[in-house]
Order: sequence, then structure tokens, then C-alpha cells
Amino acid sequence: MAPGSIDELEAALREADYLPDRGLATALYLSLALEKPVLLEGDAGVGKTEAAKALATALDARLIRLQCYEGLDVAHAVYEWNYPRQLLHIRAAQEGTVTESELFGPEYLIRRPLLEAIDTDEPVVLLIDEIDRADEEFEAFLLEVLSDFQITIPEIGTIRARRRPAVILTSNRTRELHDALKRRALYHWIGHPSVEREVAIVRLRVPEIPERLAIEAAAFVRGLRGLDLVKPPGVAETIDWAMALDALGRRELDAEVVQQTLGSVLKYHEDLDAVRDATLARLVDEARAAATR
Amino acid sequence: MAAGDAIVGHVVTFGRVLREAGLEIGPGRVTDALRALDSVDLARRDDVYFSLRQTLVSRHDELSVFDRAFEAWFLRTPVLPPERLRPPEQVLQVVQPFPEGAHEDGDDADDEPLELGASGDELLRDKDFAELSEDELRRVRDLVARIARTRPLRRSRRMRRDPLGEGVDVRAMIRRSLRTGGDPIERPLRARKQVPRRLVLLCDVSGSMDAYARVLLLFLHAAVGTGRGVEAFAFGTRLSRLTPDLRTRDPLDALARCTQAVVDWGSGTRIGASLREFNAVYGRRAMSRGAIVVIVSDGWEREDPALVGREMARLARAAYAVIWVNPLKGNPDYQPLAGGMRAALPFVDRFLAGHNLRSLEELATVLAGVERRHAA
Repeated sequence: MAPGSIDELEAALREADYLPDRGLATALYLSLALEKPVLLEGDAGVGKTEAAKALATALDARLIRLQCYEGLDVAHAVYEWNYPRQLLHIRAAQEGTVTESELFGPEYLIRRPLLEAIDTDEPVVLLIDEIDRADEEFEAFLLEVLSDFQITIPEIGTIRARRRPAVILTSNRTRELHDALKRRALYHWIGHPSVEREVAIVRLRVPEIPERLAIEAAAFVRGLRGLDLVKPPGVAETIDWAMALDALGRRELDAEVVQQTLGSVLKYHEDLDAVRDATLARLVDEARAAATR
Repeated sequence: MAAGDAIVGHVVTFGRVLREAGLEIGPGRVTDALRALDSVDLARRDDVYFSLRQTLVSRHDELSVFDRAFEAWFLRTPVLPPERLRPPEQVLQVVQPFPEGAHEDGDDADDEPLELGASGDELLRDKDFAELSEDELRRVRDLVARIARTRPLRRSRRMRRDPLGEGVDVRAMIRRSLRTGGDPIERPLRARKQVPRRLVLLCDVSGSMDAYARVLLLFLHAAVGTGRGVEAFAFGTRLSRLTPDLRTRDPLDALARCTQAVVDWGSGTRIGASLREFNAVYGRRAMSRGAIVVIVSDGWEREDPALVGREMARLARAAYAVIWVNPLKGNPDYQPLAGGMRAALPFVDRFLAGHNLRSLEELATVLAGVERRHAA
């Protein structure tokens, strides 16, 4: 059930508790319409991974996630043989003869995310998370899979996708990706949301939170992003923080509660050090002013 | 369909405008852009904007160029044409360190034998880079390239068949055990592959460092040529990334252009501020994580040396090893007394001179076998 327009997709994502801005909705829509992977880049915590999850919910598709890391190889991304079972089988059949084709058949295959996403009849959203962490050899391999949507297993043969999965790649830009891979994909940069949008996101994810507190929290985080921090907080941190504030039963922000809970927003010692006393008081004042405006 | 044709014409021309501005726009991208426009509402400006942006742009740093071109082209607002990513040719020639044609000139080449004998090479090896003539610099280039081909390796998690490996290649073992009724008599081994470690070079290009920076950059350029995973930056009063230029441009052109951008003549070096920029922008993207970071600078900080110390601490935590190359160290009487240098030293794993070819060889040896001094 592919959505017929950007508006339709936007509504479906909202249903799935995700508030995309128009740009992201357009990127996801075009990715479906053009049957091309979409590469999402942006600072950590802006909701790249969440976008894929929401898309799966919106499309009523299965989310298959491949988390990339340095050294990721075919055995962990595509398939692997189940060696213990193979050995047991050879042992058990010692009297008879075991043929190679029997041993390297589908029942001894361990299917990893990429094979899973291609060899299925269900609708699938394939999330290839943090592709920049995988090494370049793997990126080249991935490029092949994403161009043909087929995987060759020497012992079995070539498996073709019967329906193309929607593919979302995310990158934190620790390195530039290959041009070839980029040519293959649509590109969307996700920035930090505006205060209004962030308030809406917080209220969607933490429905019990008083409106005033949601505005103050979003405005405070916006203020933090203006400082020179090691790791400026993303939307994910704002949501965590709002939950913490709400759990404490707060209705508005003051310097004391910020001091107690700031650890859920800032994750570096240096950053916590930089946001104290006068800076903290100023940001609290500004946040409170934003809520009364 | 006249309207459709008009759009095709628009988009094709727009693609050309972007290409002129330095973006890589192939026919495939233009086709994608047209297909994208086909599936959105052309009356909505933001949908048209995102459709074009998402199909024509593939890097974050191209976004501002795209935005300006989009404004100028589709919205016809009277703004300046998009800034060119590539500078005009004339600028390149003015700052080019080797005068065009000097090599083919012939007469000065005849005066001096082109091939230096072993003794000539020896002399060149010990000559301070700051004292090189243009001609010598050209010869140094080749030698530097040879030295640069050593790259530090790290163990990848990928495996390959290796008779001396420490792990069993189970897939191959199972296959071979078929012949022996399931007894794994033959055990093919495999080992982790060695891949080059990421190398990051931060080059001080302010006044006194210029001569050294040029050779170090040649060194690095040769290293870039040996594979990916090398990043280069130049800094003076601010920081600028050289890497994309190094792949496409003559390294000295790239450096000269970059030097203009980051050096305010006579205003000294802001090492601490440049390191902070590196840590904040690129360190956050984990570029320094597990990398070997080479800093080339004389350590003269114009501003607060304490900032140098703080940022070096941050850098050293992320990096696998930090190597500081200071040409002043080539002088046997040198003492690291400059404030910035003193603040940085506690976080430096290896402190080298790098002022002549011989010391570059030392750098190459260190790069090939560098060990982390501080525990992870």
C-alpha cells in the first residue's frame, strides 16, 4: 500500500507517532516512487533511525535493520552456513553418503539481514544504519546488492528480490561515502527541528507533559545547540529529558531541576562543565521567556 | 507536450548551472530529478525544492551552493551567481609555486645534471626544506613520494585464507571434511586482514611554516595516492579541509589556494582555535577515532596556550596516536619553550623534526610502526 502523495505519507508517518518535516516526507516519498534508496545524513539524534522505523509502521511493512560496524562482513550481513548442524548431519549419516548439495542447502543457511530483506514476499523496509562505519570493501559489496537486488550464494545460486524493499541508509559522516553509492541513492540532510516542531514532537512522545514544560524544554535545548559543545543534544535527548522532567512531576523549568537532570541531555563531562551557573541561569531565563511569549 | 518540454529544458540547464558551480551532476541525476518532479505537485515550491535537492545534491557541503543556485535560477531573485567551488584559473597560476614551463626551459636543466648521484642525494637529504631552491624542491617531490608509501596498518575484522593464520576457516573445513566422513582432518586457517589505519594531517601554513608545509603536503599527497583513509587540513588563523582538493588538484595548487583562505598575514597562528574547530566539526564525526594524527607546526600560539592543551587532550583521547612534527626541532639547540608547544607536548606520542628528507624517512618509519604510548 504505497502512499499516493507526500501528504498521504506525512499523515501515515504522523499516525506512526513520527513528525517529519516536509523535506523528509518528500525524501521518503520519492524513495518509494522512484524505487531508489535514500541516504539520510545529519547530526546524531536528529531521528534518522526513527524515520525508518516510522516508515515501516506507516507502510505496514517489516523493518529489517543492518547495523554497520568496522569489519562487518558477508557472514554477518548476508548469510552464513550453520556449521554445527552441518557437522552433526555428517556424523549422523556416517553410514550413508552425504552429498555436498545436501549439506549446503537452504536448511543449513543462516539468513542475515540483507538476504532476509531480499528473499521474502512481505513488504520490507531495509534500514542500513551508520553505513559510514562499515569499511569500504563492504560498501562496494552493498552497492552491488542495491543495484541488482540479488544475492549470489555459490552453493545455491542467485536469489532475486521478488519485490524491492524500501531502503534507507543512514550516515553520521565519519567519512565520505563512495560517489557510486551516492549516485545510486537520493540524499537528504536532516537538520535540527525548529522549536515549534520540537515541542510538537515532545508532546507527541510524552503526551502527559504540560505544554509549558514542553516549550521550555525545547527552547532550553535550542539554547544549548547555540553553545560550543562537544556533542550538541539531538531530538532524542530532548525527549529523554522531557520524560525525566515529567517523571519528577515538574510543571515548569528552574535552575535547580535543570542541574539535577542535565545529564540526560548532555553526555560529555566537558559539556556539563560548560553549562553551569551563569550560562545555565541565562538559558533557563530564556527558555521561560519563550514559554510566556 | 510543451509544458513538459519546458520543464526538461529548465532542469537540464539548472543541472549545467550546478555543474559550473562545482557540483558533480551526471545525466543520471538529471533523469532522477525529472522523474522526481513528475511525482510531486509542481505548484508547491518546497516540494519542487526538495525533489531537486534530494536528487541533485549528495553532500552536505554542497547544500549552500545548491540553495543559492535554486534561488537564482528558479525563483529569479536578484542574487549573486553561486560562488564557484573552483577558483578561476588565473588565480591558480599567480600563486603556483613552480612557474609554468620552467622545467622544459632546457638551459638551466643542462647546467645541472638532472640525475643526482648518490652524493647529491645525500646532500639533498640533509638540506633544510626552507633552503630548497625551486629546482631542488621538484626533485625532492619524487623522493618524498617514495618515502610516503609506507602506511600504518590496523587489523580489520575481515578475514582471508592464510596458512599461517590463527583461526580455522570453518566453511572450507566442512567442505573438506566431506571426503573423510565428517572428520575435520584438514583444517585450513585464516587470519584477520591488515588494512591501513586512518591518517589525519593537520598542517600549519602560517608564514614561517610555509616551506615545511609544502613538502609535508607532498608527502601526504603521495600517501593519499596510496589509498583512501587519508585526511588533510591546513590551518593558520582558522582551519580548512584539503582532502577533496588533493584527489583532483595538484597538491601545491591546493595548498596555495587554501593558504590564502586560512592565513591572515602577520596575525600569527591560532593553533588552539584550529584544533578546537577540528575536534568540534570532524572529531565529532569520529574522523580522529583510532586514527594517527600528524600535526605539523612550530607551536607558536598567538592566543591562549591553555586552549592548545585542552584541545590536544581531547584529540589525544580519540586518536590512536598523535605525532607532532616541528621543523625547529631540527636545530640541535632547540628547546620546546613556545607556550603552545609546551602545552601540547604531554599529549604527543612522538615528537619529530621533519625539516629535511632524512627526518621524513624517520617519520615514515614511525608511521609504519607507531605504537600508542598511552593506554586506551
